[in-house]
Amino acid sequence: MNHLSERSLFRKMAIKLKTPGSLTVVITIAVAVLASLYSGSYIFINTLVMGAMLAIMAMGLALIFSVMSVPNFAHGEFFMVGTLVSYYVFKPFIKITQQTGNPVLISLSPLITFFTATAVGVILGMFLEIALFRPLRRRSREQWVMNSFLLTLGVSVMLVNGHLLIFGTDFKGIINYWPYETIKILEVQTSFDRIVVLILSLCVILIFWAFMKSSKLGRSIRAVSQDETGAIMVGINVDAIQTITLALCCGLAALSGAFLLFMYPSHPSVGMAPLYNSWFIVILMGMGNVGGAAIGGFVVALFQVLTTVYIGEGWGLIIPAIAIAAILVIKPVGILGSPIRGILDK
Amino acid sequence: MLLEVNNINSGYGFLQVLWDVSINIDTGEYVCLIGPNGAGKSTLLKTIAGIVRLKNGRILFNDKEHLHLAKGHEISRMGISYISEELNLFRRMTVEENLAMGAVAIKDKKEKEKNLAFVLGLFPQLKNRLTQISGTMSGGEQKMLAIARGMMSSPTLLLVDEPSLGLAPQLTTAVFDTLDILIKEGVSILLAEQNVHRTLQSTHRGYVIESGKIVLEGKSSELSENEHVKKAYLGIV
Repeated sequence: MNHLSERSLFRKMAIKLKTPGSLTVVITIAVAVLASLYSGSYIFINTLVMGAMLAIMAMGLALIFSVMSVPNFAHGEFFMVGTLVSYYVFKPFIKITQQTGNPVLISLSPLITFFTATAVGVILGMFLEIALFRPLRRRSREQWVMNSFLLTLGVSVMLVNGHLLIFGTDFKGIINYWPYETIKILEVQTSFDRIVVLILSLCVILIFWAFMKSSKLGRSIRAVSQDETGAIMVGINVDAIQTITLALCCGLAALSGAFLLFMYPSHPSVGMAPLYNSWFIVILMGMGNVGGAAIGGFVVALFQVLTTVYIGEGWGLIIPAIAIAAILVIKPVGILGSPIRGILDK
Repeated sequence: MLLEVNNINSGYGFLQVLWDVSINIDTGEYVCLIGPNGAGKSTLLKTIAGIVRLKNGRILFNDKEHLHLAKGHEISRMGISYISEELNLFRRMTVEENLAMGAVAIKDKKEKEKNLAFVLGLFPQLKNRLTQISGTMSGGEQKMLAIARGMMSSPTLLLVDEPSLGLAPQLTTAVFDTLDILIKEGVSILLAEQNVHRTLQSTHRGYVIESGKIVLEGKSSELSENEHVKKAYLGIV
């Protein structure tokens, strides 16, 4: 009896491993480990840092799409806003800490910066929803995906050129958030910033996950994404949920930008690469699949890191795009599939 | 009057479906809405529930709430549960989560638990399925879940749209029996149904709607004797 139940347990695990999601996770980890053994563990570290950032961006993108049916092409611009805000918030701190050398301020100022950037992203997202999407939704839901796509494109152009007009084309970057020594992990000299940002990003992903899974608000957001009419029927204020969702996701994108200011100096089109990459992820894993987007972040990051290492820096965006196109030919709804078959179905 | 619908005009975009429709429901009453496909039964229920915006007219709830000015989610929070034809379940959530969402507007934890116990008593089959994803259940079970979810908000008025659609005869009977129990519990029900024979047996009063206008109204027993209803809906010549 015991023996039997053990066998069925194994079978259950084997079945679970055969789902596309877990298969993807296993293959990704395996490839990352093999590549790291072959060329050095910096591949692993780089994939993690970049993957965490892409995961945060892509989760927001997927959530906006699943709750509001908005294909947000301004998502990269919120990353840009995040870098910009954090640059201007953090720069005065550098001056003060250099003069006083106050250790508390040194360790706390980046956190204040992250918080401010997120807050600006949240407010901007809220404004975007209330000022643009809500009136559009009131007027007509016909051709909603196309109209909202054009709207986000317009917002993107405005934000990029606004940056250009007011702050100019200069690269506004910092050397590091925390002026500490590099740390050796798995024989790789890793900057202190990278490690802290990686840990913070993973925390953000986990908190976001828990929030969506078990909080009342998170459940209401999922309810709206699964059935808008059903959500109205049980008494959920759909307008409020959509505002909260967009604010939350824009906040996450801005936070992502703030985290990575030391890698991506702020300039008008800094959001381009993160935007394209998060769209790769969302399309690859299945539109509107938020959990899949988190996994996809690391998959696409691995693609890019491997391409950069073995083929060349310039191919960083090209090879992953080709690989994704190839995967989509085999599985058109994305690796994890999704309830939304075509973009216009919804 | 629990619900008073006064001369409403409603429809989708430029397409008007309901023309000057008036109905009313008293507390504890079981009222049915019968009519052919496309007559506007579902549109009337959706308009009352606030899913479809009405063009003009007045809807009063409990003699004081103006439903025609309220939004869909506010109407649900006033104590009107709408159970749609498509059910509108949260298909990727578990049965338990669906039921919890039904009570999302209720703050009191004790009331939530009481409602959960009540609906699980009503549908014992759901008890073993609490952790199942709702989209993977059979049509009959999904219908039960939809009714259960609608009851989780302790409504005073239930709007039920075609509960027998796509169900086996045995399950249809079970659904009608459930509605009878709910009436005994003091809930008022407005039921739109194609199964006219069975509907007129159990309801108190009925409206016949054709081409978006109310053409007949009266006690269910009288309606089933009416020549027009007999000819058009009951198939008795």
